[in-house]
Amino acid sequence: MLFYSFFKTLVGQPVTVELKNDLAITGVLVSVDQFLNIKLDNIKVVDEERYPHMLAVKNCFIRGSVVRYVQLPAPSVDTALLQDAARRERQQPAAARR
Amino acid sequence: MDSFQIFTTSTSLVDSVDKKLLVVLRDGRKLIGILRSFDQFANLVLQDTIERIYVGDAYGDIPRGIFIIRGENVVLLGEIDLDKEDESPLREVPVEEILQVQREEMELRVKREKIKNRMLSDQGFSVDQAEFGDLY
Amino acid sequence: MDEHAPLESAGIEEPLDLVRLSLDERIYVKLRGDRELRGKLHAYDGHLNMVLGDVEETITVVDVNDETLEEVIRIVKRNCEMLFVRGDGVILVSPPSRA
Repeated sequence: MLFYSFFKTLVGQPVTVELKNDLAITGVLVSVDQFLNIKLDNIKVVDEERYPHMLAVKNCFIRGSVVRYVQLPAPSVDTALLQDAARRERQQPAAARR
Repeated sequence: MDSFQIFTTSTSLVDSVDKKLLVVLRDGRKLIGILRSFDQFANLVLQDTIERIYVGDAYGDIPRGIFIIRGENVVLLGEIDLDKEDESPLREVPVEEILQVQREEMELRVKREKIKNRMLSDQGFSVDQAEFGDLY
Repeated sequence: MDEHAPLESAGIEEPLDLVRLSLDERIYVKLRGDRELRGKLHAYDGHLNMVLGDVEETITVVDVNDETLEEVIRIVKRNCEMLFVRGDGVILVSPPSRA
């Protein structure tokens, strides 16, 4: 749930999603769900010439399972908060097991 | 909480229902059709679907009809901007022609990928068969 | 049994606990395919999804000449300020000492 919550804080920000097939799409993050499926608006494909089928596409839904990276706008990321959340997320399941 | 989570998946696709979409599948196929239904796994129902094959600046269409697509095979789907579609610099060619050039390009690609994967594997990189099958 | 005691007292019980100790440190990540990353670990989860900062990505490209079928290996480096990495592509994570 950590990254689902994290991505929700980035809605409205420009991101670049790079897929496992190397296709990279820049757009405004519209929504994200618990599978980390991502919806982008006003998209632009980074290497347009290689992917002519994307030319007429204005927004897209990307299935979370095909994502390799998401490049994020660094100023919008609170790294201290993220590290805290990551530490807490690890402690919870361990405590529940006892 | 669970019902809320399922709800979030649906909201992201509900705006695309009854619109003309491009769907890219994991095997590289590109389908164009009208989205009629979907669920939380991104299983899709497409109506009046055509399969469009692209090679270089050319494309060819094969009419396919109704598709029920299993979500795990979906890479992405996007709404097609009908104005931009008209400005497309691509040229349509007959299906037989596009299938022929596609076959040639695929053979070349498979040959190239084989060599690449062997080289990368020698360098200690993990390139497995599954990835090789995903030529999307 | 005794030799395990120090690890447990440091809160280490399972492999991912070692990743927790790398938070806020630079780590090395090897991915499926031809990619490797070096960056500062800001967050991770049980899938090894991660957010890395000041990332250097190393891509090992193999160029194949179509006529001669000769291959040339080329290393491409890319930098990214802040990167989310999906865990299903991660092969290994190596802590700071080796990064």
